[in-house]
Amino acid sequence: MTHLGFIALSYALALIVPLGFGLGAARRLSLARRRLAAIDPRAAQ
Amino acid sequence: MDAIALIAPRAGRGLHRFANPGRFLRLAGAVQPWLTGSAIIVTAIGLYWALFISPADWQQGDAVRIMYVHVPAAWLASMGYAGLALCSLASIIWRHPLADLAAAEIGPVGAGFTALCLATGSLWGKPMWGAWWVWDARLTSVLVLFFLYLGHIALVRAFDEPQRGYRAGSILALVGVVNLPIIKFSVDWWNTLHQPATITLMGAPTMALTMLWPLLVCAIGFTLVFAALVVARTRAAVMERRIRALLMARSEASA
Amino acid sequence: MTRKGRRWAIVLVCGVGLGSATALSLLAFSSDMVFFVAPSDLAANGQPGRSLRLGGLVEAGSVHRVSEGGEPVAHFRVTDGKASVDVSYTGILPDLFREGQGVVTLGTLRPDGTFRASEVLAKHDETYMPKDVADALKKAGMWDPTKGPPPPAATWNAMATRTAG
Repeated sequence: MTHLGFIALSYALALIVPLGFGLGAARRLSLARRRLAAIDPRAAQ
Repeated sequence: MDAIALIAPRAGRGLHRFANPGRFLRLAGAVQPWLTGSAIIVTAIGLYWALFISPADWQQGDAVRIMYVHVPAAWLASMGYAGLALCSLASIIWRHPLADLAAAEIGPVGAGFTALCLATGSLWGKPMWGAWWVWDARLTSVLVLFFLYLGHIALVRAFDEPQRGYRAGSILALVGVVNLPIIKFSVDWWNTLHQPATITLMGAPTMALTMLWPLLVCAIGFTLVFAALVVARTRAAVMERRIRALLMARSEASA
Repeated sequence: MTRKGRRWAIVLVCGVGLGSATALSLLAFSSDMVFFVAPSDLAANGQPGRSLRLGGLVEAGSVHRVSEGGEPVAHFRVTDGKASVDVSYTGILPDLFREGQGVVTLGTLRPDGTFRASEVLAKHDETYMPKDVADALKKAGMWDPTKGPPPPAATWNAMATRTAG
């Protein structure tokens, strides 16, 4: 493959950016769910 | 004006069905696994196809594979901004409470995809054009889009009272909409180093179908990823708002 | 008028105002928004000595590479079909540089009418084509890349090719 460094870096970024957002969202969701359950068990889904 | 007055209240009522946070959480919670699962599968297929199956370009060689990441990221950067603007419109006209939360959550994701578009564009430009960056109309207008996203992110979080931040943010988002046609048509209106569009509404795409299919699969995959991220973040934001409201009610009750 | 109607009116009026203001300023500054000038613009009102970007296609058969004092120097003509300008450039050309390719060169016009470039960028077009398809078109005499753009996409974009391993 020609220009392998440029291609590899591009695809790495394409994986890292959504993965970073995804992990952040998952962490936020689980934290919010736990806190909600602690405050008001009826309101938690 | 009459037509809008006729349609608008109905559209507003339709949207307000989702204003109930409990209903939104139930619905979004049910959709989330399917959205996330299909996003991962379609993107994985698209990227594998793009990297290993699609042919190299006769001039660019394998560097053309950067296109399969760069172009969907660029489309999502613009589409995400259009989504942000629609949420802002719903917020300003109908005072839709979920639209405010969704707009605040679209901002960072859109900025991330715009950054991805700019970075992969740079990585493509260096080996092909011979420059990491040039100040032509297309590149500059996408950089402006990135700054609009950053401005929106900062603005909606800048006030002690969230409602004022949402209002300011939605005005900024709507003003920034003028940039979208500039991005789209910059390559036609002015001469730029960036090439014009390959896929147009009229005319055959000037791209071999063996390259077009993986590009479309990647674009669908990226769109699903974007949607899954925004839905997940908005669910978290709705829950966080409910936590704040419950804590506030409790502290008032005990005071 | 309802409050929603009033909000619609405000948004629409602001939108029309902002849109037309933007359109007018873009129109006014249109000549400054271009990234490069074409050879025919340069022929019409080019002043020697000013630094500018010249863009166009590398004319077929015009590229001469020589070595001056151990440094590679390229001489070629940049054309937009109406006029063409002699360009000289010292240094390494980008990979995509070839006859018939779009290029953007940064440099100055000299009093003798030639252009001295300090930087050459390759401008690739919106066509994406596997090598086999390009070879087949060239073999069939349907396309000479040094002479101009490829034939209409509908004639080749569904052409079957071997895929990369």
